[in-house]
Amino acid sequence: MKRVIMIVSLSSFFLSGCVQNVKAWEKAKLSKETMQKGGGNALLKAYQEHVYFSKEATKGGSGIGGGGCGCN
Amino acid sequence: MQLVKLSITTALLLSTLQADNYINVQVLQYNEHNGRASISTPSVELNYDLGADYTFNGKYTLDSISGASPIFYDSTSGASAYSRGETTQDSARYGGVEYDETKRMQGTVRGTKRFENRDEVTLGASFSNEYDYRSTELSAEVLHWVDEGKNQAFSMGVAFQRNVILVDCKENSICDATSGASKKLRADAFFAEAGFSQNLNSSSVLKTSLFFNNEDGYLTNPFMNVLRYYNTTPTITNETRPHNRRGYGGVLEYTKAIGESTAWHSSYRYYHDDWEIDSHTLNNDLYYELNSDTTLGAGLRYYSQSAAHFFSKEFDHFTDEVYASSDERLGDFNAINLSMSIDYKITKQLMYNLSGNYYKQNEGTIARYFTTGVKYKF
Repeated sequence: MKRVIMIVSLSSFFLSGCVQNVKAWEKAKLSKETMQKGGGNALLKAYQEHVYFSKEATKGGSGIGGGGCGCN
Repeated sequence: MQLVKLSITTALLLSTLQADNYINVQVLQYNEHNGRASISTPSVELNYDLGADYTFNGKYTLDSISGASPIFYDSTSGASAYSRGETTQDSARYGGVEYDETKRMQGTVRGTKRFENRDEVTLGASFSNEYDYRSTELSAEVLHWVDEGKNQAFSMGVAFQRNVILVDCKENSICDATSGASKKLRADAFFAEAGFSQNLNSSSVLKTSLFFNNEDGYLTNPFMNVLRYYNTTPTITNETRPHNRRGYGGVLEYTKAIGESTAWHSSYRYYHDDWEIDSHTLNNDLYYELNSDTTLGAGLRYYSQSAAHFFSKEFDHFTDEVYASSDERLGDFNAINLSMSIDYKITKQLMYNLSGNYYKQNEGTIARYFTTGVKYKF
């Protein structure tokens, strides 16, 4: 766990130097559907996550909620 | 210039506040090679904004699963998950055993409340039911904007899951093997995730998150077998996994708009748990707006995991170990997933999508799966 926290903290520290204060009128690209999860269709990403969950032994990191199943 | 900025800001704010109401109907068709497993999954999702401050989201999914799982079985008593007991070296096999077709229904509802500063609280409930597995989940998430410009957001979520597993006692060491009865066993899970999102500039976003999972109870798969005492008295028994599992990890996600029409999503995930499974996942997705109606997508995911400390599918490995499993999903393997997709706007409100995926594990599993559906905005 220490290793994970260290990597996240270090990357945040180094990236803080690259951060700009983006104004509301500069967010046109950021608000595009293709910039959202699944390119705007999160349900398709959820299908992929379900396949991975069923065929692999790990889970976590893709958001909270969604429920369990007896598929693993 | 100020006037132009003001009108663009107003337009963006209006688009943000505009209702995001839609119905999304999708079907997944999943097929493994050699007919090993076939899954059909239709889903319907409704997203409805109640004014600017509340959003309701509901999803209903049906699964129909048929096929076979690779397990140890006794070839003289038939290729059944329950062909357990003493066997011989000649009769012991590892291979695909057919299971009955199962159906599963799953529903999720989520409600989001937004406050004046646009911070969000989301509460959710999920329910999943199949004849031998029932899962109930409650979840809560918060999103807090750290700065006034809404370029930094902190998010946190927790979920509690209760799973009830119906175990057939036939030839199963955890309950009375002779009565033919069944027994309900419980497995509870707690999930937590915390993330921080930062707009780096007008075209890129970075998100980091940490997650933690804790599972307690009957984590064994009642259909999976192991072969013990191969060199003396070969015996097929049901597998046994530890009753607790703690996993944690971190995710780094980078999303970048390239030019006016391309978006690149890249992420890395590290996972570790006390079953000694380590895993690394690298994912990349590209979306390209061919014109105002058509968006093309392509994705590549690489995954690797190490084996659980109690896993082996060797014939002469297990003797009297407390924990033993030959479920190949707990083994050491890597996998790739390739995906292609197309989204086409039929009208301003109606969108059609089609995607194809190819999934391959180096240990042999190959799957192809397709999704198709329509999304109607209103």
